[in-house]
Amino acid sequence: MQILKNNSSQVVIEAKNLRKEYQGKLALKGLNLEIGPGEIFCLLGQNGAGKSTTINLFLGFIKPTSGAAYINGLEVASNVTRIKESLAYIPENVMLYPNLTGIENLSLFSSLAGFKYSDKELRQYLENAGLPAEAAPRRVSGYSKGMRQKVGIAIAVAKHAKVLLLDEPTSGLDPKASNEFSELLLNLSNTGTAIFMATHDIFRSKAVGTRVGIMREGELVEVLPASDLEANELEKVYLNHMHL
Amino acid sequence: MVRDIAKKEFLSTLRDSRFIALSILVLLLLLAATLVGLYSYQKQQEEREVAQQTVNDQFANSTERHPHRMAHYGSYAFRPRSPLSFLDFGLDSYTGSSVYMEAHRQNSANFSQAQQSSSLIRFGEMTVAFVLQMLIPLLIIFLCFGAFTQEKETGTLKLLLSQGISMRKLAWAKIKGYSKIVALVVAPALILVSVILFAQGNFEVNGDILLRFFLFILTYLFYFFIFIVISVVVSALNERSSTSLVTLLGTWILCCIIIPKASANLGSNLYTTPTKAEMDAEVHQEVAKGIDGHNSKDERAETLKQELFKQYGVNSLEELPVNFDGIVMAAGEKHSSKVYEEHFDELTETFENQNRISEYAGFFNPYLAVRNLSMGISGSDFNHYIHFLKEAEEYRYNQSQKLNYIQATQLGYGDKETRLSSDTWKEFQAFSYETPPARWALQNHLVSIAALFVWLIAVIVIGNKLIDKTKVA
Repeated sequence: MQILKNNSSQVVIEAKNLRKEYQGKLALKGLNLEIGPGEIFCLLGQNGAGKSTTINLFLGFIKPTSGAAYINGLEVASNVTRIKESLAYIPENVMLYPNLTGIENLSLFSSLAGFKYSDKELRQYLENAGLPAEAAPRRVSGYSKGMRQKVGIAIAVAKHAKVLLLDEPTSGLDPKASNEFSELLLNLSNTGTAIFMATHDIFRSKAVGTRVGIMREGELVEVLPASDLEANELEKVYLNHMHL
Repeated sequence: MVRDIAKKEFLSTLRDSRFIALSILVLLLLLAATLVGLYSYQKQQEEREVAQQTVNDQFANSTERHPHRMAHYGSYAFRPRSPLSFLDFGLDSYTGSSVYMEAHRQNSANFSQAQQSSSLIRFGEMTVAFVLQMLIPLLIIFLCFGAFTQEKETGTLKLLLSQGISMRKLAWAKIKGYSKIVALVVAPALILVSVILFAQGNFEVNGDILLRFFLFILTYLFYFFIFIVISVVVSALNERSSTSLVTLLGTWILCCIIIPKASANLGSNLYTTPTKAEMDAEVHQEVAKGIDGHNSKDERAETLKQELFKQYGVNSLEELPVNFDGIVMAAGEKHSSKVYEEHFDELTETFENQNRISEYAGFFNPYLAVRNLSMGISGSDFNHYIHFLKEAEEYRYNQSQKLNYIQATQLGYGDKETRLSSDTWKEFQAFSYETPPARWALQNHLVSIAALFVWLIAVIVIGNKLIDKTKVA
């Protein structure tokens, strides 16, 4: 069952026959995809399947070999800086500036996105992302991975982006933090944010995703509505595609 | 955007204890070099002023003497150091500090610092210029080598770029931030120099010193900026901090050690200079036998004698209304000076050709452009040295000719007994030397100025293009 299009008439994230080749090897084989506002699209796949390549193409960090990626109707390759105005990104491992505090890191990234917040507002964003209040004024060099990830979430939320690109964001988070993160994604989705999340976590995909895509060797082999399946069914489909 | 990133770089660096320790070390070296340079300058300057005053007094208060005896008694010209040479010793330590000025002979400058020091001086001196030219670029390299590579390695680069800042803006923001840090390290030393120059009464403040100091600061600001941009661009082009650091250190070794040595060696091999003994022998021979070897000293004297006989309508030297001894001395002095001047100009041209290699190498190496310009602005380069030698030679020539004139007009032919009053020597103007103006200094380094500007434009234009090609993922 291939559901490449969202049900909404609006398209926020779009890929049209998107291909990427690295030194003669195809990393992405003609991806076609549409994601609408408020939708959470979870992309499952093994390491090297092409998930990060897809995200890098949507971010404009790499140029497609052919085809095009679109954010809010703008072609990414020719609007690399402009598309970032409406886009936020959380990598697998949020690395911040260790010599700056949590507040200073958030302030820096927010100001780069054009938002100037007061100290109180910055603390509030960090707290909403789940960072303990006493950690906010401390230097990030002493933060755990989970704490850094929460600052990363705060950075994304404080940007008020309409598109959120996540590259295995819950990797390494403890279950409590992962659950909090899922709640946060659902809240953002409810405000109309389109979310594209590359992940290995089948159960998290089922829990938060609107649709789940399975990618293998650069090809989107299956797209399923998350609500139609149980987690164990999704796992079966995934494993079948992986020939495991 | 740019301000925020620049502020972040500034704050992050200030909180890095390793960099703080390195900066304090460099700052202390800079301050020490300033104070040591000033002490050395003041000591040498005082010695030379006292020596100059002493020889001037000795000449003016000389006992009753025959004028030609006085011409051989001679005098000394001590080269005063240019005010800013305490920042950049340049060639001052290797060039002579005094010239013995006597009749018939054009002596070279003697008593350089290098002659009076141990062989350790060959390793270079700890001057402000040394710290600014060699150590600050190293500090810049250690500061900037990870500008982009660390962001790539940790993944913050993607996060930064996802916020909407372009690579080019990010690079310029980093350059701005690092420039502030370098300014923070260098500024205390420059403030100390300013206090020494303008507030302590050590120097007679005039427009020329102000202009030279301004140009000195400006030259090094350009130099640091060039190194910062190169370091940031190299960091952007590399994926790993280690390769970025190795590339930059290699560039530093090439720019600050290998190319300067190679260009100096190339210059001396392409344009060989005669030894002092060879040059002295040639001058002596040409003075004695004539430039073309067909017009000897005796022949010239005979021709002059016949011309004077004809001019005054007499048949013997005793009948001449002027003392032939003085006339022939003056003619000899004129001839020997001409011979010497030709050889000196030839030698100077050879040295200038050698220096030109280094000047043009500035187009390939900003260190050389700055080194030459810094010496020129500080008044310690080859051109200032030659300027002093020429002034000293002009003084020597005029003094000798004045004494020859006295002999020719006040003493009779063959009179070797008359002694002139000691008051006669007081009428001679003492030797005094003034450093030429900054404009003159700059005119001698137009190639280095052009090279520095070419570097400035090149790093901006090429840097921008290369930054745009930086791989993010």
